[in-house]
Amino acid sequence: MHQGLGSIALKGSLTLTVSTALLLLGAARSLSAQDVALTGGVIHTADGDVFEGGTVVVRDGKVTAVGNDVTVPRGVPVVDVSGRTIIPGMLDNHSHIGFDVRDVNERSTTFTPRYRIMDVLSPDERYWFNAVDGGVTTIVTGPGSGSVSSGQSAVVKTWGAVWEDRILDPSGGLKIAMGAKRPHTETSMATTSMLRERLIKAQEYQAAQDAWRAGGEEGAPPPTNLDLEVLAGILRGENRIRAHVHSAHDILSLLRLKDDFDFGLTLHHATEAYKVADEIAARNVPVVGVPLFIRIGLVEEVMRAPAYLVEKGITFAFHTDDPVVMSKHQRYNAALAIRYGMAPEDALRALTINPATIAEVDDRVGSIEVGKDADLVVINGPWYELTSRVDLVYVDGRLAFDRATEEGR
Amino acid sequence: MIRIASVSRGWALALVFFATAMTPASGQVIAIQGGTVVPVSGPAIEGGTVLLRDGIIAAVGANVDVPGGATIVNATDRYVLPGLIDAMSYYGISGTDLNETSAPSTPQLRAIEAYYPFGAFSDGEAPAAPRSQDLLMGGVTTHYIAPADATVIGGQGAIVKAAAETYDGLIVREPAAIDITLGQRPAGTFSAGNRSPGTRMAVVAHLREQLVRAGEYQQQQDAWRALPEGERGAAPPRDLGMEALALMLSGEIPARIQANRTTEIREALQLAEEFGFRLILDSGVSADQLGDALNEAGVPVVLGPISHPFVSGEEIPDRDEYSNPDERRAARLQGSGVTFAIASFSRSFGSLGPSGSGKWLLLDAALAAGYGLTEAEVLRAVTLSAAEILGVDDRIGSLEVGKDGDVIILDGPPLSVTSWVERVFVDGVEVFVRD
Repeated sequence: MHQGLGSIALKGSLTLTVSTALLLLGAARSLSAQDVALTGGVIHTADGDVFEGGTVVVRDGKVTAVGNDVTVPRGVPVVDVSGRTIIPGMLDNHSHIGFDVRDVNERSTTFTPRYRIMDVLSPDERYWFNAVDGGVTTIVTGPGSGSVSSGQSAVVKTWGAVWEDRILDPSGGLKIAMGAKRPHTETSMATTSMLRERLIKAQEYQAAQDAWRAGGEEGAPPPTNLDLEVLAGILRGENRIRAHVHSAHDILSLLRLKDDFDFGLTLHHATEAYKVADEIAARNVPVVGVPLFIRIGLVEEVMRAPAYLVEKGITFAFHTDDPVVMSKHQRYNAALAIRYGMAPEDALRALTINPATIAEVDDRVGSIEVGKDADLVVINGPWYELTSRVDLVYVDGRLAFDRATEEGR
Repeated sequence: MIRIASVSRGWALALVFFATAMTPASGQVIAIQGGTVVPVSGPAIEGGTVLLRDGIIAAVGANVDVPGGATIVNATDRYVLPGLIDAMSYYGISGTDLNETSAPSTPQLRAIEAYYPFGAFSDGEAPAAPRSQDLLMGGVTTHYIAPADATVIGGQGAIVKAAAETYDGLIVREPAAIDITLGQRPAGTFSAGNRSPGTRMAVVAHLREQLVRAGEYQQQQDAWRALPEGERGAAPPRDLGMEALALMLSGEIPARIQANRTTEIREALQLAEEFGFRLILDSGVSADQLGDALNEAGVPVVLGPISHPFVSGEEIPDRDEYSNPDERRAARLQGSGVTFAIASFSRSFGSLGPSGSGKWLLLDAALAAGYGLTEAEVLRAVTLSAAEILGVDDRIGSLEVGKDGDVIILDGPPLSVTSWVERVFVDGVEVFVRD
């Protein structure tokens, strides 16, 4: 039985019929629990600080104090987490949960920037809990890689009382996918060429719009094209491109497009990024790297790649690509990167502040800092050991997961 | 209930190939000293010694006399364990050879015929002694190989080592079991082509039919053989598939049935009872829900990976089929008294790489320690329990005198994500050293 307020939103589902009373009780408790202080734990803020035996104070869902010399205000309930580890709620910068998986790819056409995953996201979907239980509290979820551009992603919290409040960004980046997209493109050259042509069309579209405005908006405005609107917004720097890419040559193609059109870009999966790391670093392009978790079974050099990319100064974030790797295994991606040479503090940043920065929500989430959302994860040992477990997860200061309740211990 | 008479054991035995271990140079002695020795069969020994002589474990303990001339391996600050056993994998079999889907059942097929995990050798060099490098770097010294799970009876599996001095020397036992799959996997294969068996019901009915046929086949063979030599006439025609199933029905080799939903697990138990064969349950995503029944029937379980028991290797797993994996299932089986192993079910050729090969076996099993197993129970699930289930615990699975010299040395606690396998010995030969 998954406890929590998030399940309130699962109305009509089996969950509610199984144990309505329990859910409502849990909800009532959680609603009043936006104030809390966690004391005694080892706090990794992901903001450069580690506090042994530190305290985090949460008021109204926001962090109001963190450190060693922190006094808990009167009336704030205290949870003693001595001997345990606290890290920020993790992010997953590339996921496909929160919607019916049948909606992941539109196969009839291949270039639809106008599509928004926001239009099919639902609090009723299964598997949100899988992220929450694993300590992943914010995800960037979006359409798939079956077409050249499948639409816009959204940045959402994985749990919360009010659905609208969970949405951090309804248009969180445009998904494009490199490589042949049959039957629409037969080669990766054709895909890159199509992108180049569409970007030029967006420039022309913008120019026509600008000219009409500069001319005093006389006559009929140029016809609206929803796809080109999105691309024009990207060219204006108001949104960015999230590119599914594996091969080194496709990464280089993207970098050339960026050179020519100057847009915000992140490389996703980027399996061969380590082969062109200097080119990526020179353009300051972040990498949301291929899931390392063992279900994928990557070869050794790809396992070592995240540590190498970080050494090269590239902003790196982990992702699960859920359902490819389950959301709750996100922490293990970092664990394996540490195994393959990444410093633990770099690995933690790649789970938290780096993906938050890439998704442009680092003012809200990604580290334990005063003023930020109180998304906190309590782990019963070293945060990156495979034998450690997530004990407690708070989202906006509310208890979203409690292992003791979940597992009856 | 259908009861099949026991078939001729002599005939069956002749088909089973028990290979002998490779032998290092006679008289060679290796002493692994100073580490924390984890024999699995007993408590850990701090600063212990493992002595290997002629490829066999000659001594294990805190006070072992090391003969002069022995090669000394210093394992101070290291952990010394038996070689790991991956009780189910498709590793070493090309993706195109995994599934023979031309027929729903092909018990005559042998996984060993498709087994070759050693990749391309460098230009001009003579092939080296076989070494499954991927497995050795994860500490896996023995693995089970099988035809994959897209059909009902896939064929015959084998137990092979990850290193030997010759290709023949790799084989520990072949055939080692008949590999069978129930449920949506085979039903999906055949329903996709509008063929039978295209439903779960049809899969079970098809399997039962095969087993009935095999029983009748063996009775016919036995009856012919029971006649006085002069009265026999022409021998009944041989059927290799039925011969293989007869081996299983006689108890010579077990059936390994992959079943995930409780319905299919119950069907597997039912068939084992009905036909009297030895059953090993594979994958068993829901096996923990039937722990008492499995324990009562004495049926062991080879669990799929703790983290992702989606056993058919697709890029996007079918969660409706395999449900949400409950990582506590191993601990629940432990609580029910069921013998279980944790295996990789890995393939050599996944969508992105050597899909979760045995090199991840210990890291995956380590997760179970967060979900209710003790460290000792985790280690047993990838060593001694696996050997017991495969029926080779007389040779491998623990550091005990007389067993094969399959030993691994780790540079840190066995379940830590930052620990690495440093050295691996198979049959007393050092076959892997980490750079």
